[in-house]
Amino acid sequence: MKKWLSCGIFFVVIPAVVIGGAVLFQEKQYAWITLWVTVLSCVPFFFRFEKKENNAKRLILIAAMTALSVVGRILFMPLPGFKPVTAMVVITAMYFGGEAGFMTGALSAVISNFSFGQGPWTPFQMLSWGLIGFAAGLLAEPLKKNRVLLAVFGALSGAVYSFLMDIWTVLWADGTFNGARYAAALVSAAQFTLIYAVSNVIFLLLLAKPIGSILERIRTKYAL
Amino acid sequence: MKAFGNYHPAVLMVYFLSVLLVAMFVTNPVLQLSALSGGALFAMALERPGNWARDGAFYVPLFFMVAVTNPLFSHNGVTPLFFLNGNPVTLEAFVYGIAIGVMVIGVILWCKCYSRIMTSDKFLYLFGRIIPKLSLVLSMALRFIPMFKRQMHRVSRARRAMGLYAADSFTDKLKSRMSVFMAMIAWSLENAMETAASMKARGYGIKGRTNFSLFRFTARDGVLLSVCILLLGVTLVGTAMGEMAFYYYPRISHLNVTPLALFLYGAFGILSFLPFFVEIKGALIWKYYVWKM
Repeated sequence: MKKWLSCGIFFVVIPAVVIGGAVLFQEKQYAWITLWVTVLSCVPFFFRFEKKENNAKRLILIAAMTALSVVGRILFMPLPGFKPVTAMVVITAMYFGGEAGFMTGALSAVISNFSFGQGPWTPFQMLSWGLIGFAAGLLAEPLKKNRVLLAVFGALSGAVYSFLMDIWTVLWADGTFNGARYAAALVSAAQFTLIYAVSNVIFLLLLAKPIGSILERIRTKYAL
Repeated sequence: MKAFGNYHPAVLMVYFLSVLLVAMFVTNPVLQLSALSGGALFAMALERPGNWARDGAFYVPLFFMVAVTNPLFSHNGVTPLFFLNGNPVTLEAFVYGIAIGVMVIGVILWCKCYSRIMTSDKFLYLFGRIIPKLSLVLSMALRFIPMFKRQMHRVSRARRAMGLYAADSFTDKLKSRMSVFMAMIAWSLENAMETAASMKARGYGIKGRTNFSLFRFTARDGVLLSVCILLLGVTLVGTAMGEMAFYYYPRISHLNVTPLALFLYGAFGILSFLPFFVEIKGALIWKYYVWKM
């Protein structure tokens, strides 16, 4: 019964909604499909997490890292643009794997938007931060050993985050991908993109070692 | 007052998604204007009158920024107003810019109302059964945040008592915030592990446990849910029939004002003004009771 239901959702309901919406909202069909691709890309991660994760310690560790990244955003408020969220996501991924990184990133987006404002950008933030975490999990070993690589990864993820977020803004406003508007959005956000990239590098270089040793210690002390 | 917020979370979720769906993806100007005005009135009903001016000072310039800049990005349209650097600035692009402005502000206002009404407890109640582990993580993180904030203040007060002031320079600020953060991390992770042990001791993950919740689905929730689905269905069927089709490029099309189209505008109008009416009714009842005392 349950199996049939999920089959029905995956093979009938979702395609029907996506295709139906694309036909119905012809003017905005690119934005519609992009939104669905974004939301559905998060689903397999969440699904696997629900299926697999049974260890209460790991669950709470992810909750704590998420809360720390949100509190960090508040703590560093006097320094505009300096947000340790990306750094915390990357560090979690380095020590507890890509899935934990994805979850920390996606949940940080949802939770910080409870206070900073939810909007159509929430799914895109979830996916962007989630994917940064997942990628950091894949590169965990080299990132731990090589500090230059870590800095490059931080800078790149700051830039990628901005680039990804603006794609949807343009699709939604114009209906099609308007290159001029995308370029304008990137240029007007360039200052913030730069601050993100720089602050990610600073946070990663300063935090990765000490937090790493705290996490290693927790791992041995509590047998994670 | 949050009269509208007293409905069942599932009904509220369906309602917000319906309005946002139409406001974000249907390009008819009448629908977008009614979404904008419904959202603005609802947001005003939720906000204290003292804050209206402050919010207006944010939304009005944003609207003009979106509206005025569009002709710079888009040279579609057949009615050039004037030429700028050899590129035509067209009437159509200008009008389309206004339409985008209405849509963007409308959606932002509705999202603001959503954030005020769909508090995290309602969100968790809705998703707790579909994604139990994720919602557990989410609710624990939400609980950790105020706890960590309190601890953060304790740590920084202790540092100040030790004479470790933060000076005004950037690096000093960064350094002092950083050491507070490090102390926080060690403390909070230890704390989290103890919580995990305590949860395990109290039987987390054992089968047959139920969740506590305050929400009940009553008759009035049923009424609102069916009204909402009906109005959304009417609007979407109307869109599918092309009854509300409207184009800005290459030439601005005429607004359809057949009786059927007017009926459809009315249907979505009711949908987008519903929460405002509910709030007003709640406020009137409240005033009446106060007056009777």
